[in-house]
Amino acid sequence: MHELAVTQEILSIVLAEAESNGAKRIKKVRVRVGEMTAVVGDCVRFYFDIISRGTIAEGAEVEIENIPIEARCSACGRVYRASELDFLCSFCGGIGSLISGRELLVEGIEIDQSGEGSGNKDS
Amino acid sequence: MEIKILRDVLATNEAVAKENERLFGEKKVFVLNLMASPGAGKTSFILRTIEGLKDDFKMAVVEGDIASKVDAERVREQGVPAVQINTGGACHLDANMIKNSLALLDLDEIDFLIIENVGNLVCPAEFNLGETLRAMILSIPEGDDKPLKYPLMFTESHVLIVNKMDLLDWTDFDLERFKGVVGRLNSKMKVFELSCKSGEGVEDWIDWLKTRLISFRT
Repeated sequence: MHELAVTQEILSIVLAEAESNGAKRIKKVRVRVGEMTAVVGDCVRFYFDIISRGTIAEGAEVEIENIPIEARCSACGRVYRASELDFLCSFCGGIGSLISGRELLVEGIEIDQSGEGSGNKDS
Repeated sequence: MEIKILRDVLATNEAVAKENERLFGEKKVFVLNLMASPGAGKTSFILRTIEGLKDDFKMAVVEGDIASKVDAERVREQGVPAVQINTGGACHLDANMIKNSLALLDLDEIDFLIIENVGNLVCPAEFNLGETLRAMILSIPEGDDKPLKYPLMFTESHVLIVNKMDLLDWTDFDLERFKGVVGRLNSKMKVFELSCKSGEGVEDWIDWLKTRLISFRT
């Protein structure tokens, strides 16, 4: 679904960054995805493989780190791991405010500057 | 070689949404982003809302449907300007589509703009448009398990409209259980139970919205 739009944004971010660093090839793309987002990692990988063809990111591995949902309770002040389906404090049932879980970040890339290995793209 | 980037993927959308928000603030336009599944009653809910407010507020509607002009025509029949965005298959509206559609509307002549998002409970929740208020509709026949399937929509919305209340007795929908689950996900969400068909409960929504619109204007 909207993972295509998200993946296009990821690709344009990594291509711009790679080019400004003189990269010949992008080997790996690291993405952080919070559990409280509507983004499916497998879809991102699937689209990335397709839309990166013909670019220096072709064949790059997309590594996705899932970020758990954490909140701080407004009643007892404790930090707890919330589930996607229940936001209330797991200690006292109070209302919490989200600390993490809504991330959708390009964390970084791994590049080749020499051009070595650019001939054996594993697409 | 490793390069750290740490860039928000939705930053571009967020930046345009902020621009929209600034423009809406300048022009004193209250914007409602309305989200729901196909068939939940978005268009009839908009028509009921127009009926209740059009004497007191200058309204307009942006319709985001995949490929049809039907909804916009129904709104225009009420004497309210409507712009149709055909997303051409996309599952959500984004801030840039809204920005482009604003060229077709005279914001100086609008107090209250309703954006009807694409019928979908997943993707629209991720894309901020620059709105003042986010509302979602859930209709009784969709079932009381929907918060467990689409939690993000329930946590991101400020208002929940439970539509088609007239069908409650004909379904297995457990209203108390449903409200319990919703409360655990988003305790601040304002809930209205109504039927756009019978008109039952619509008045409470209109009264509440009127108060919000008046306090926004002053």
